[in-house]
Amino acid sequence: MNQETKLKLLKQIILISAAFCILVAFLLIVNFWQMKKSNPLESQTIEALVQRLAVDDNNEELRKEIRSFDLLARKAYFTSAWQVKTGAYLLFFGGVVLALALKIRTDIQRKIEPPETITDDPMMNKFVSHRWLLVTGGLVFTLALLSAFLSNDYLKSYDPGQFVDTETSSQTETIEVIPIVESVATEKGDSAILSNAVEPVPQAVAETGGAPDTPKTVVKLAKAEDFKKNQSTFRGFLGQGISFHKNIPTNWDGSSGTNVKWKISLSKPGYNTPVIWGDKLFIAGADKTSRVVSCYNRHTGKLLWEKEADNIPGSPATPPKTTDDTGLAAPTMTVDGNCVYALFGTGDLIAFDLDGNRIWAKNLGVPANHYGHSSSLITWNGKIVVQYDTAKGGRMIAINTANGDFIWDIPRANKVSWSSPTLLESKGKMLIITSADPNVIANDLETGAEVWKSPVMSGEVAPSPGVFNNIIFVSNEYAKTVALDAENGGKVIWETDEYLSEVASPVAINGLLFLATSYGVLVCYDAMTGENVWEKEFSSGFYSSPMIAENKVYIIDMSGVMHIIKADRTGTIVKEPELGEAAFALPVFADGKIYLRGKSSLYCIGE
Amino acid sequence: MKNIGHKIVFLSFFVLILVQANAQRFPKPEFESGYEQPSPTTPEPRSNALEYLDVLILFASLSLASWLVIKRRSRRGVLWLSIFTLLYFGFYREGCICSVGSIQNITLALFDPVYKISITVLIFFLLPLVFALFFGRTFCAGACPLGAIQDILVFRPVSIPVWVRKALGFIPYLYLGLAVLYAATGTDFIICRYDPFVGFFRMDGPYTMIIIGIALLLLGLFFARPYCRVFCPYGVLLNWMSRFSKYHMTITPAECISCKLCEPSCPFDAIEIPVSEKVRTQKVLRQNLKRFSLYALLIPVWMFIGGYAVSSSHVLLSKAHQDVYLSELLIAHPELKSDTKNLDIKAFLESGKTFDELVANASLIRAKFKSGGWFLGGFLGLVIGIMIMNQFVFRTKTIYEPHKGDCFSCGRCMDYCPVVKLK
Repeated sequence: MNQETKLKLLKQIILISAAFCILVAFLLIVNFWQMKKSNPLESQTIEALVQRLAVDDNNEELRKEIRSFDLLARKAYFTSAWQVKTGAYLLFFGGVVLALALKIRTDIQRKIEPPETITDDPMMNKFVSHRWLLVTGGLVFTLALLSAFLSNDYLKSYDPGQFVDTETSSQTETIEVIPIVESVATEKGDSAILSNAVEPVPQAVAETGGAPDTPKTVVKLAKAEDFKKNQSTFRGFLGQGISFHKNIPTNWDGSSGTNVKWKISLSKPGYNTPVIWGDKLFIAGADKTSRVVSCYNRHTGKLLWEKEADNIPGSPATPPKTTDDTGLAAPTMTVDGNCVYALFGTGDLIAFDLDGNRIWAKNLGVPANHYGHSSSLITWNGKIVVQYDTAKGGRMIAINTANGDFIWDIPRANKVSWSSPTLLESKGKMLIITSADPNVIANDLETGAEVWKSPVMSGEVAPSPGVFNNIIFVSNEYAKTVALDAENGGKVIWETDEYLSEVASPVAINGLLFLATSYGVLVCYDAMTGENVWEKEFSSGFYSSPMIAENKVYIIDMSGVMHIIKADRTGTIVKEPELGEAAFALPVFADGKIYLRGKSSLYCIGE
Repeated sequence: MKNIGHKIVFLSFFVLILVQANAQRFPKPEFESGYEQPSPTTPEPRSNALEYLDVLILFASLSLASWLVIKRRSRRGVLWLSIFTLLYFGFYREGCICSVGSIQNITLALFDPVYKISITVLIFFLLPLVFALFFGRTFCAGACPLGAIQDILVFRPVSIPVWVRKALGFIPYLYLGLAVLYAATGTDFIICRYDPFVGFFRMDGPYTMIIIGIALLLLGLFFARPYCRVFCPYGVLLNWMSRFSKYHMTITPAECISCKLCEPSCPFDAIEIPVSEKVRTQKVLRQNLKRFSLYALLIPVWMFIGGYAVSSSHVLLSKAHQDVYLSELLIAHPELKSDTKNLDIKAFLESGKTFDELVANASLIRAKFKSGGWFLGGFLGLVIGIMIMNQFVFRTKTIYEPHKGDCFSCGRCMDYCPVVKLK
């Protein structure tokens, strides 16, 4: 065989073996990806089935289904593993053939190369090098200095007593109620929960600065009627979105001042809705520098006090990053007649009495939340309920209103969420209903125990649950709207994916469910069947949730136009007054007035 | 250039290792029959005799490499020796013990009175430096598994502009300084943690380690021995020693005839070409002297800036320490304090220490980083100052010779010298 024939043959071997190696390498990558995908430990199908089994433990069919899925996943995994291993050996031997062919061909073709002429100017090389060395040194030291400015020294914010406190409280993190608050409600019958849930105990609130180790703190707990009279929390009484106030105005114009009783500029930004108790209106705001709670006379708009939430053990030196549409003051506060309680995106939870005296404060841990924490607080029977779903795990927490101690703190499997808890009396228990990915969960308010859960939700859940006659309504964009039977273990009654809410929470009354979307559709469903009764499309979308007052739906769109619609099957539009600025918070009703938080101002509307 | 074939074999081999290294371990089954799985046991330490054998083999490798390069002038011999080194110190000894990483053991032993090192570690650290002092970097040529794995994969090297080489040449000093700082504070052995090739040697390792290793090997096809030239912290020490070597290898065994044939032979751009006296005009000399003096005077300024900058970054640098990391994690997220799924927290809780002790130790470590930052920054400032100053030093050269500091003594250039071939 002459040299030319040898080279031709070698060229063919090189081409074939190279093509073989590329093909095997490609198949290996595909197989490797497939192997990752079919890892039985990460099978979402099996996980979902196992969760269903947790609800329905005696379902043998479901067990069989899980086993067969598991076997399939394992078979797929091991087959892929075998294929990858075999492919790797094939690639290795293909590589050997290719290498040998290349080696022989190179040896045959080797010849002495002519000397290259180096034309570089050594002086110029050194001169250019010195410049680049200056740049390199400058860059390294600049980056070092930059890191000094960008790094948080958490150690400096450490309070030596901080962990001792949390160690102690960790021992109380059980699902049992620790009777720190003297409550007389626990022995009541079923019907007593709402009618007279929390009877007043004629004692004063704990003194300012009440220490966590205060042996016994007696507080005056408000009645259910008081909660109905006031807007104590996000979405009103029990967080269900229904107001009991009358003579609510339907006509105003924020720009011209028509029917605007007063308007004030807010000192700090925030997306929380104001809360009201008696003559006082409370609102929270925050920016990177500070977090404040402000109290106004709701009749005159006069600022009564404004207090900073600062010097809280465990509070981060630098606030966590949040997006502009969430910020650090998204959670709505809650008030119970004794204190107003505020939660910020830093995880700081603080209580002020109604005169602005600081009662207690603590940090719940900086929430790992890529938009910012937004779940609002709700209070009932001496407990503040916190839905604390973060990227590092979910928690449901009940805090003692008197001294800020944990009553119970229960971890849960839900992913990070932005929705708020809703309360519902069911079978003699006050349930906390929460919606997050993947579970809608009902917890017993008193013990924190999980009463039922339903794995029906997915995605980044922001809408809070709506309630009507023991039916729970949950919705989320890219997921579905579902009606669940609260008295039957959260069983699905109906579901639809026709219109889905991104942020606004559903509200129900008169057998009708109202749902607002971020693209401007307000839809009315039959609450029992899910039938579409009517739908209306508006020019601006909704982040604010619909509220019901005097049998009318009040919902303000992002441009500040309030849509007032009859809460019936006709869906008649009553009025569409304008605020004159963007709005994201909910309307708050009290004694013939509406309080509206615009992007930068707070309005009192009254005819 | 030459030896293309075996490089492809090795590349394929590494793909095989990558696949093996990432083969997922399936979770152990849970038996219902009552069978109990045996608990894992800690393997016995390597016997002293075998440790001394390692030292002996290192000594033999260094001696053989020096003989092959300086006396025998055999590139082929160096190649086979590096393959042996790769197999023994690399795949058999799994990259440990290693002269490169021994810097950290020595440093920690100096700063931590409780930490002791064996004589073998000390010898592994010193022996290559001693050989470099006499014979140049023969350790890099034939006794370093990290160098060997890259050297046999040099496929078609390209020449890198001088300014790029000079700028990249600062990184090994930075890496060395950080490695010493982290070892001195008992934080971490970063040279070992970020060793890109140990995953191949052990046929196991984190996914990122394998990927970085593969990336460096692929880069090494064209930018020869990238780890050695851009990262190796031990290379800094070898470079210093080698500059004083009396018996360093030469390209030609006799008188250089300046035939230029060896010019393209070095894949590491370590051959210094002749510099004519013509470029050294009076004007140039005056300018250079002026600049040299200026940059010499600026060295203390560089040192101060470096010290201040690195010391200021102590908060970030110290976050790598386990106690600092854990303290900050718990301060920022107190809700994790009883999260037993987090192995770091679980280990801490089981240690019986209090949080106050943990935070106090973390503060102490951070203070050490602050003071250590001055030394590290000062050192880096000194290095950058001298490197800049050196750009205005010119030496006339009439022959082709290897740069004593940068040359890996691989012997490739020797094969190109016609003086040898005419023999």
